[in-house]
Amino acid sequence: MHQPATTNPMIIMVINMTIVFAVLIGLSFMIKLVHMIDPTKKQEKKLEEKPAPRAASVVTPAAPAVDPNLNIAVIAAAVAAYGGDAKIVAIRPVESTGWKNVGRANGVQNTVF
Amino acid sequence: MNEFMTAFSVSLQSVWNDSGFSAITSGNIIMILVGCVLLYLAFAKEYEPLLLSPIAFGCILANFPKTGFNDEMNVMMAIGFGIKYEIFPPIIFMGVGAMTDFGPMIADPDTMLLGAAAQFGVFIALAGAMLLGFTVQEAACIGIIGGADGPTSIYLTVKMAPHLLGAIAVAAYSYMSLVPLIQPPVMILCTSQKDREIRMPQLRNVTKFERIVFPVLSTIVISLLLPPVASLVGMLMLGNLFRESGVTDRLSDTAQNALINIVTIFLATGTGLTMDADSFLNYKTILIICLGLVAFIGGTAAGVLFGQIMKVATGGRINPLIGSAGVSAVPMAARVSQVVVQKYCPGNFLLMNAMGPNVAGVIGTAVAAGTALAMLQG
Repeated sequence: MHQPATTNPMIIMVINMTIVFAVLIGLSFMIKLVHMIDPTKKQEKKLEEKPAPRAASVVTPAAPAVDPNLNIAVIAAAVAAYGGDAKIVAIRPVESTGWKNVGRANGVQNTVF
Repeated sequence: MNEFMTAFSVSLQSVWNDSGFSAITSGNIIMILVGCVLLYLAFAKEYEPLLLSPIAFGCILANFPKTGFNDEMNVMMAIGFGIKYEIFPPIIFMGVGAMTDFGPMIADPDTMLLGAAAQFGVFIALAGAMLLGFTVQEAACIGIIGGADGPTSIYLTVKMAPHLLGAIAVAAYSYMSLVPLIQPPVMILCTSQKDREIRMPQLRNVTKFERIVFPVLSTIVISLLLPPVASLVGMLMLGNLFRESGVTDRLSDTAQNALINIVTIFLATGTGLTMDADSFLNYKTILIICLGLVAFIGGTAAGVLFGQIMKVATGGRINPLIGSAGVSAVPMAARVSQVVVQKYCPGNFLLMNAMGPNVAGVIGTAVAAGTALAMLQG
């Protein structure tokens, strides 16, 4: 057990803040030094600069030929089924998920009828 | 029949004499009510509920008479040992380290100075506490509330003024939860609209090498310079190494989830258990709570004002508002900087820039605590 070095708050503040600043300034210099000597820095830069490999040309299968007039007919029928004051908000292709489609169908039935 | 009634009466008398009801004082009742109010704040107002709720419940438990918590070995005494022998705060720090990303600070190390400047609040409160009649050791513990770092506050208080532990812990955690209310007015007062509109450049990428070297280097430097806080800083950086190494994911996961949660329960409950009426119900508690607020406001103002100096020194690169994040409270103080900037300059994003001084503040508070221990421990 020993007596405190000082009980003057101003001296405590000055000494303490000097040490806090000195430690953090010292650490910031060390961080800068580490950044300068970092052996992995170049590798990372190279990786960044290297262009991403071009994807091998993938032949996208052509979408099955659909008569555009058929789409228009389907949309028109849907609007007509809804009623006169219908407003088209979005047109999305129906997914193949069975449950979702059943839900959608039920929803449409509930709304229309 | 008469014999039965006598036996019944004696037994009843004995049960009453052994019960807490016969020995409860008005002070105990007030502290139980304080515990209930803290529970309300934790659950209804969501003020740091993870910490405040076990503290509040510990406070309620501490004020039941005749429990023998301090007389014989039991779970409550064991929890108390975890605080008394400074086991819990360093373990909490390990979890904090595992959750902390030092990347923004490493990317822009100049902002570490803001983490140092915000420690001025600690010493403003220290001076205020000494003027109000606290001893220098008590004043240092009260001042460290301004560091907005619960484990460091508890660590320092246990070493220098254990009788103030309850009041200091409650003040520290309460103000940490009030950072979004305390800081903005001070930040606005210390900056102009033009300051708030300063856009800071995007931070550079930090390599894995830098992320791993930093915790090792800083542990060596700080522990050699300030051995009293070697356990705090060492555990903080060990947790961070688990996170950054990339090969200790399981350890990192345990440190930042299960372990920190378990130890938080014990630390907070143990802190609440120190809040018995005899040591908590006095005018010093009110003074501590007021001085804690002074420390927070002083730290925030010092951070922002030093940010103004850095703005000038860097030719307008630094937005002074990130200076307020220098009080530790990770990451809430950085978020507050972002919220204030967004309010006055929508589209200006400096959350990551504010994280630099924010995590530097954790180191700064630990260093301030270590220096105080070295200078003042009686």
